[in-house]
Amino acid sequence: MKLSEHLISFAGQDLLLTNQRAVYWPQEHALVLSDLHLGKAAHFRKNGIPLPTTVSEQDLFRLQNLVLHYTPQQVIIVGDLMHAGANTEVALLRDLTTQFPNTRFILIKGNHDRHSLQQLQGWGIFAFFDELQLSPIRFSHHPRHNGHPTISGHIHPGIRIQMPHKRYARLPCYVVTKDQLILPAFSLFTGLDTRSISDNAVYYAIYGDRVFEVSP
Amino acid sequence: MNKTFEHTEGYTRITQWMQSRGNTPFGFQENTWKKYTHGYSGMVIAPTGFGKTFSIFLAVLIDFMNQPEQHKNGLKLLWITPLRSLAKDLARAMQEAIDEIGLDWIVEVRNGDTDAKMKQRQSRSMPDVLLVTPESLHLLLAQKGRATFFKNLTCIAVDEWHELLGTKRGVMVELALAYLKSQYNQLRVWGITATIGNLDQAIDVLLPTEKKRAKIVAREKKRIEIIPVYPDEVEVLPWAGHLGSKLADKVAPIILASKSTIVFTNTRNQSEMWYQLLLEAHPDFAGQLALHHSSIAGPIRQWIEDALSEGKLKAVVSTSSLDLGVDFKPVDTVIQIGSSKGVARFMQRAGRSGHSPFEVSKIYFVPTHSLELIEVSALKEAVKTQTIEAREPMVLTFDVLVQFLVTIALGGGFKPEDMLPIIKSTFAFSEINEEEWQWCIVFITQGGSIGRNYEDFHKVAQQKDGLMVVEKRRIAMLHRMNIGVIVSEAMMRVKFISGGYVGMVEEYFISKLKKGDKFVLSGRILELVTVKEMTVQVRSASGRAITPSWLGGRLPLSSNLSHFLRQKLALSTHPGTTEKELRFLHPLVARQNEHSHIPSTDEFLVEYIQTREGYHLFMYPFEGRLVHEVMSALIAYRISCLFPISFSMAMNDYGFELFSDSEIKLTEAELKDILSRDNLMQDVVSSINSTEMAKRKFRDIAVISGMVIQNMYGKQQNNKSLQSSSGIIFQVLEEHDPHNLLLRQAYTEVFNQQLEEQRLVAVFDRIHQSRIIFKFATGFTPLSFPIKVDSLRQSLSSEDLAARIAKLQERTLYKGKSEKEKRK
Repeated sequence: MKLSEHLISFAGQDLLLTNQRAVYWPQEHALVLSDLHLGKAAHFRKNGIPLPTTVSEQDLFRLQNLVLHYTPQQVIIVGDLMHAGANTEVALLRDLTTQFPNTRFILIKGNHDRHSLQQLQGWGIFAFFDELQLSPIRFSHHPRHNGHPTISGHIHPGIRIQMPHKRYARLPCYVVTKDQLILPAFSLFTGLDTRSISDNAVYYAIYGDRVFEVSP
Repeated sequence: MNKTFEHTEGYTRITQWMQSRGNTPFGFQENTWKKYTHGYSGMVIAPTGFGKTFSIFLAVLIDFMNQPEQHKNGLKLLWITPLRSLAKDLARAMQEAIDEIGLDWIVEVRNGDTDAKMKQRQSRSMPDVLLVTPESLHLLLAQKGRATFFKNLTCIAVDEWHELLGTKRGVMVELALAYLKSQYNQLRVWGITATIGNLDQAIDVLLPTEKKRAKIVAREKKRIEIIPVYPDEVEVLPWAGHLGSKLADKVAPIILASKSTIVFTNTRNQSEMWYQLLLEAHPDFAGQLALHHSSIAGPIRQWIEDALSEGKLKAVVSTSSLDLGVDFKPVDTVIQIGSSKGVARFMQRAGRSGHSPFEVSKIYFVPTHSLELIEVSALKEAVKTQTIEAREPMVLTFDVLVQFLVTIALGGGFKPEDMLPIIKSTFAFSEINEEEWQWCIVFITQGGSIGRNYEDFHKVAQQKDGLMVVEKRRIAMLHRMNIGVIVSEAMMRVKFISGGYVGMVEEYFISKLKKGDKFVLSGRILELVTVKEMTVQVRSASGRAITPSWLGGRLPLSSNLSHFLRQKLALSTHPGTTEKELRFLHPLVARQNEHSHIPSTDEFLVEYIQTREGYHLFMYPFEGRLVHEVMSALIAYRISCLFPISFSMAMNDYGFELFSDSEIKLTEAELKDILSRDNLMQDVVSSINSTEMAKRKFRDIAVISGMVIQNMYGKQQNNKSLQSSSGIIFQVLEEHDPHNLLLRQAYTEVFNQQLEEQRLVAVFDRIHQSRIIFKFATGFTPLSFPIKVDSLRQSLSSEDLAARIAKLQERTLYKGKSEKEKRK
């Protein structure tokens, strides 16, 4: 796994946007990511769409490497940890969390998260919130536009970038405004929404091992 | 049978009935009746309007009347048609005939429009004749009761086989026929087709195993008259699209002089434009002129079709959406705007006027730029010699196969060892090997070859007795919803914010728009307000707007037509030519010849043009846009192997351009190398992004094979957690399961369809045998100009474009004049 970082300032805080679709916040020793959609491939298989387990394993492997690299005190998952019900792939999360007893895994409730705290604790989730306020930053699954600095997910933001010969490439991106930071979906097995893009934001697109600023 | 056929009861009753309506049977109809009586399967080849339907339909009735004891209750004739809209009218005509002849048979339709109650009743007790689409037939095969539906079936008729052949729907028909024939070996299968280039192959595909096989060709021919619409004067520097607006004034009188007219265009974009142009040319058309294309709301389209049938409309501007379907009796005139791209399509469109057997079909051809007039003369030649395109059958389409296997598993199950010979008996899968077959079985039972990686996957399960069945209800439901091979673009509904439905538009198009942008749909100018889920909310607007350029709107030129085009272009230099169209073009041809060259059929023209903007290399293979797309990338790649250079590319159906701001230094020897046929496909693969192309091809494959659940309006909510795009699945498979057969199929389809490997090889063979003519010019030539304009169009908005082109035209013409003056 190649890791690269792009430093930005948001709500007066230094944040590292990584090419691995996760943000590291040094002051709080926090790794922040969203939309892991764990168990999605298994959910598809149950419904007759054959996708190998390796799809989900790859996401957890990337998460594991990030935790090893930053050794954060907390991992904040800004919603949609699980894609659907509990299944064999979701159980793999337990293997990951037990490896890092000194890291607290915190979940902000997303629209896909329909499990009880008790169930979540079984998988090694330390805490479960609707929203969370940490220093000046609020965490919420859905983007909120109330002037309060918020980190959110949900949208799976992407951006179309024009290539030579009128071709377009669609890349996952971070969307940053004065008071909003919308995270790309952490899982590689997710689509992109390139429509909900507004003009007054700065975009940081991810392509291979790079993160770079794009103006739409 | 000791009576001759002509004295049988069935024959007598049928001919009497025909006489009572003032008809006598055509020769091909009688032939069909006889062959059917003698137990043959076969193919009827006849032009539209001559009673193809009655050749086979009446054959079944005659056979029944001659030996009623051989026929039992229930379904006797299964009639497969590619179009839903066709079925209703066909059923009505059949029922009418049956009633008049005095039989008690019932004819019914079963397709997506049939209501659930009716379907249930049919499943309990089938009518005597059932009209289905390939999809609804597969849905019947997916029902538990399938064994009872078909047990007394004597004949399956496949209508409009030429429309199905060469498509995955055709493969669906092949599979269904093979399965039914294996269960009921008395079945006779009859096809009906229009003339196509590969008739014998068409028969082999439909009837691969039949021993008694008849080919019945109608001697009757449809006469077609082609009338070009000439502009007032020939533009020596033609550009596509521009001429249209000038010709609207000439088209309006043709419509006024006719009872009812269909105006055919090639793209939805063009149809929207012409709708506006005709209204401007003749404002009184308002209310009598309609617009018909596949993005217009279904009910509105239905209304237009009904109004057209009843003669309430003066004209309809349409795309290929009206190519097929029921006959519109009042239509007496057809107008084709721009190239029809193929001989078959042109003849089909012409056939929409003049329906009764011996009437002449009249079609007006309106060129969008003056060069297209050459096409008139090419089309006349093609129609005269009946040189019609072949329809290449599709083979080894594993996506269709895995869908079919699940379908059969669902309707009662199958044993793999019994199934393989059935599959192998079809034309499409005659070459399937053991390994591929095993892969398909694993795909539907375990998901993939690495078992543990596919935990929880049980689409099809094998029972103890070896029977493959679908056990889970949810999987059965998802599969039934997904049966079929027509994959639609993700479409969004367009609605007024105040309520009221406008039409459908591709999500792809909307994704490029921002709030406040204006676009044209259904002849209206609309402003985008918001996008919610799969609905686009708009309000009425005025002023400048973008017309959606729908994906896949541009059809490639067929190789038949391009052959005649080259021939006619070469002819155009001879002053003694008798063809009016070519004579008309003389000023343009003369200018081309003076500044460059008109290639004869054994020459290949390359122009190198230097202008203020930079350096242009033009080549003219006349092979259609698709082939040119591949060729231009290939030539650019080969040149860049000689020296570092970057190009932008543009193309139309006649040729392509490589443009660079630095000099393209090529000797004639180098040019010959660049156009060489050596290492052709290797170079093609190096020059294009085949992964990106395969990804696009995989879109359909993913849906057909059930990897992606199609986003059906109204039902999407239920499957939200199963939403994914084929692009994501493609990436996942490339990374985690690269040997997936469906992935390989995507690449094969790129080579066979997108790159048209065979055709490309043929083009380079032809170039190899041609003399290469390398001309230098300092201004655009009549041949190069339309290509240049097309490339401008893609980067500029329309109003800027008109100004820009006028300038270019002026400059080139001026230069030509001043050069001449200098010479004097």
